[in-house]
Amino acid sequence: MIAPPPWLDVLDSTIGACASHQRPDLAHRLRQRRARLLDDRLRVLVVGEPNQGKSQLVNALVNAPICAVGDDLTTTAPTVVQHADVPSAALVTDTAGHAPRAIAPGPERVDTTIDEVSKQVAGRAGATHRGAIVRAEIGIPRKLLASGLVLIDTPAVGDPQSAGAARTFAALDQADTVLLATDATAELSTRELDLLVRIVKSCPNVIIALTKIDLSPRWRQVAEANREKLAKASVSARLIGVSAVLRLQAAKTGDQQINAESGFVDLIGCLQREVTGKSEHVAPRAVAVATSTTIAALVTTLRGQLAGTESANSVAATAQLTEAQQQFDALRKRTGRWQTTVADEMADIGADVEHDFRERTRLILREVDRAFDEAEPLTAWEPFGEWLAENLMEAAQANFAWLVERCQWLADRVAAEFPPEDGASVVTLPEWADPETADLDDPRLEPYSVGARAFTGLRGSYGGVLMFGLITSMAGLSLVNPISLAAGVAFAGKTIRDEADGRLKRRQSQAKSTAQRYVDDFFIMCSKESKDLSRKVQRTLRDHITERAEAMQAELNTTATQARETVQSEATRRDRTNLVVRQSLEQLVNLHHKVQELATPRALGGSSGLELTA
Amino acid sequence: MTGPGAHLPDIAWAMLNSALGLYRDNPRATGWLRHHRERFEEPLRVAVAGPRGVGKSTLVNALVGEEIAPVGLPGHQAVTWFQDAAEPRATVYPPHGQAGEAPIGRIDAKLQVDLREWRPDQLGQVVIDVPTRALRDLVLIDNPALPTDEDQGEALDRITRQSDAVLYVGRHGDAEDLAVMRAATDNPVSRAAPVNLVLVLARADEIGGGRIDALTSARQIARRYRGDVNVRGACQDVIAIAGLIAQAGRTMRENEFAALAKLSAVDRTVLDDALLSAERFTAAEVPIGLSQPDRHYLFDRLGLFGLRLTTTLLRRGYDSQITLSAQLVQRSGLRDLREAIAQSFVERREVLKARSALLGLDTVLRSDPRPEARKLALDLERALANAHDFRELRLLATLRAGRLKLPEELAEEAHRLIGGQGVSLPARLNLDEAAAGGGELNQAIIAALSRWRRAAENPLLSADQRRAAQIVVRSCEGMISQLHPGMTG
Repeated sequence: MIAPPPWLDVLDSTIGACASHQRPDLAHRLRQRRARLLDDRLRVLVVGEPNQGKSQLVNALVNAPICAVGDDLTTTAPTVVQHADVPSAALVTDTAGHAPRAIAPGPERVDTTIDEVSKQVAGRAGATHRGAIVRAEIGIPRKLLASGLVLIDTPAVGDPQSAGAARTFAALDQADTVLLATDATAELSTRELDLLVRIVKSCPNVIIALTKIDLSPRWRQVAEANREKLAKASVSARLIGVSAVLRLQAAKTGDQQINAESGFVDLIGCLQREVTGKSEHVAPRAVAVATSTTIAALVTTLRGQLAGTESANSVAATAQLTEAQQQFDALRKRTGRWQTTVADEMADIGADVEHDFRERTRLILREVDRAFDEAEPLTAWEPFGEWLAENLMEAAQANFAWLVERCQWLADRVAAEFPPEDGASVVTLPEWADPETADLDDPRLEPYSVGARAFTGLRGSYGGVLMFGLITSMAGLSLVNPISLAAGVAFAGKTIRDEADGRLKRRQSQAKSTAQRYVDDFFIMCSKESKDLSRKVQRTLRDHITERAEAMQAELNTTATQARETVQSEATRRDRTNLVVRQSLEQLVNLHHKVQELATPRALGGSSGLELTA
Repeated sequence: MTGPGAHLPDIAWAMLNSALGLYRDNPRATGWLRHHRERFEEPLRVAVAGPRGVGKSTLVNALVGEEIAPVGLPGHQAVTWFQDAAEPRATVYPPHGQAGEAPIGRIDAKLQVDLREWRPDQLGQVVIDVPTRALRDLVLIDNPALPTDEDQGEALDRITRQSDAVLYVGRHGDAEDLAVMRAATDNPVSRAAPVNLVLVLARADEIGGGRIDALTSARQIARRYRGDVNVRGACQDVIAIAGLIAQAGRTMRENEFAALAKLSAVDRTVLDDALLSAERFTAAEVPIGLSQPDRHYLFDRLGLFGLRLTTTLLRRGYDSQITLSAQLVQRSGLRDLREAIAQSFVERREVLKARSALLGLDTVLRSDPRPEARKLALDLERALANAHDFRELRLLATLRAGRLKLPEELAEEAHRLIGGQGVSLPARLNLDEAAAGGGELNQAIIAALSRWRRAAENPLLSADQRRAAQIVVRSCEGMISQLHPGMTG
């Protein structure tokens, strides 16, 4: 077994690449082409503008009037001419358009005669067939065809947008070689050049038959001008001048000279070389073009994948992440601000409440002072104690109520800013409870007892007796005399009175200071209570804020983490995809290099400009 | 032929004059309008246009009857006007500067212009006076090949503005030709007064590989095109003509005839063998008694087909120069072309002139619109919309393009009555030109008129069809007033 030709290797690699890149359509086309290239037959598609002598060219090639020739638009359907041992002909018609769809039998093949076929294709016979003619097939015994040459005459490519042209372009895929017929009386038209450029893209083996050279003595100049035009359009094609008239004349007369002049010897030689050298000459170029267009298509798709780096998913995730971060920052700021606010507010509340309580107690004390300026503590103390306790309790209650109110207000604000999870209130403030106060101690009041009075009176009378006794003694009186005794009594009375006043004053101040002490004690106790409360409230609020902030942060954190994970996984996936794509691209580039090696640079024509960078 | 009442050329003339009054202060507009007023009186201008290598100049030569086109310098063909005059004369009008005369004379019986004194960029326009009966009614303008690139539109615009009617020379009459023809008639006035264009397939002799029956084929192809809705919409007529044969027939010289006669005397098999291909005929050694330069010359003159045809004709007995020339002209299709020109252009001269004048006026009104000109613009629009001649043309175009179908029994007659086959009374009424007397014409018109009045009121016809019938009725009324000029004011 001989080694497979290099083009087959490249073709198979490309088919593999198509399959691995999920392009079964391209793979299918290449597989078809592979089958055709391995086939020994050479399918030659004869194309051209109207009235360029396409059918006449086919007729002259096989020396038989098998294709209808006319001066106007003639050929209406492709005619496939190939070798057969006995002349045969068939029409393939598509009845799909006529029969009900459910039982559409698809193309139908009817055997007929060559004459009939050429009439039908020219549209000159009545519609004996059903449906449109898809193609005509003619088999004739010819040495030229026996080697595997298949000629396909096509309807004219007039308007590039027409249906006929579309069919011809579709048929290009089936062709190994294209034979373009162009009239020697005029240079290649712009449209013919456009046609050629399009043809070369799918079928690089092009031979241009300059027909009707018998009509023009200057056909060589036309041929030269055409070659220049082809070179300018970077279409590589052989150009051979032929004359069907001369060829048929030669066939009629058997004149070899005329046959040589007809140019068909060259053309046939050229076609035969293509048939025998199909694998060496035709196939590599065809493969080069087919694979490089396929590779270009694959590369374009891959590039598209590369370009689409940012998927919608990752964009959303990135946005989410950014937003979460922003929210996080905002939350932190807010929390800090609120902690400060709460501390400040609570300090204010504490100061205000204390001040208020102090005011209230001071009023009470003033009241106490005023009362004990007059009253005799000994008698007044009992009712006073009740009054004091009552008033103090009242003041403490009012003050407490105020404290609770302020705390509630603050707690509400906090709750508005940091809503509690279950809608419960942020702080539970205690109800008013009468504080357990120490009993009001009775002041140590000394009542002015009778003994004491007697003692005081004695002490005072002593002085009076002594003083007046001395004075009267001077008058010769005894020390104890009535005067001195009377003075002693007077002095005793005064001393007792003075002593009683002084004692009252002392008792009053005693009562005041006792009351004062009591009030102070009460104040300290209550203010401790309220301080405790406000500290507790503050702590609760602070804890609440911290807890809520933490909860919110946790929430944000989850979102952010998810977003970050999405972004990262997207990026990872992208990197992986890009890596795969890059590798694929590299493989394709390598394949393309092989393709380029396969083809002579000339053969690739305009399509070699595929610059690949992975 | 114009409709009763408003006389289109009069309207156009009056409008040109009032525009001249309005644009007194604009020298460019005034110049342009004066030019159009002068042009109004001049013979009809028929431009020959087409892509490269389709046989424009050969066609011009065949029409003029002189082997003179193309005129110009090597590689630069000038826009050449051919007009009838007593003496040959060539005048060069450069784009800027003074016009000057170029030497013209016959060398070897062939009229030749010597433009070597002029630079290519000076050849703005060359006017050739030729004494020829063929140009009695028209001026023929030979244009350089239409460019195929983006300059094409500009070139087309210049050609259509410069001329009253166009002979578009195409190669196949294919989609490419159709596109150019459509572009040529794409301006407001053309839309109102459509086709003034005849498609000429000028290389009919090359059809069918130069077979002797090529011209019959060519005529068949032309007929098929005439029936093609797409082609009919874009031009008034399609004519196939073998340009080389026509030119040869019109300008055959004695020495050529002698050479051809010599050729026809050669043994038939030898001659056929030599005429198998161009290369054979012009090869160095061919045993037919003519020198190689002579053979080259003859080939260029006649082409393979022409040589085959002339030698066959000579052998068949058309063996004098006059009979041979007549045969060539007859077979070339030149007569068809002349008839088409006469029918489509010359007979409609007044309409075409009015059309050109209105086109010129439209240009001025568009380039310098001013409030005072509003009425004129409205008049122009009304003239385009209402002038019966334009209505006839529009209906003709509509019928030809198949946009409106009349019942079969009416279609052919409508086409004829509105001037589809010529605007003379007998042509419209399908009567023999010579035989038709006034009474017969009168009867025919009245019969047609009553027939079409009925059609115009036939409730079985669609509104469009009835409108078409009304136009035909007006054409009939016009014919009556043409036959009895005294009857209408």
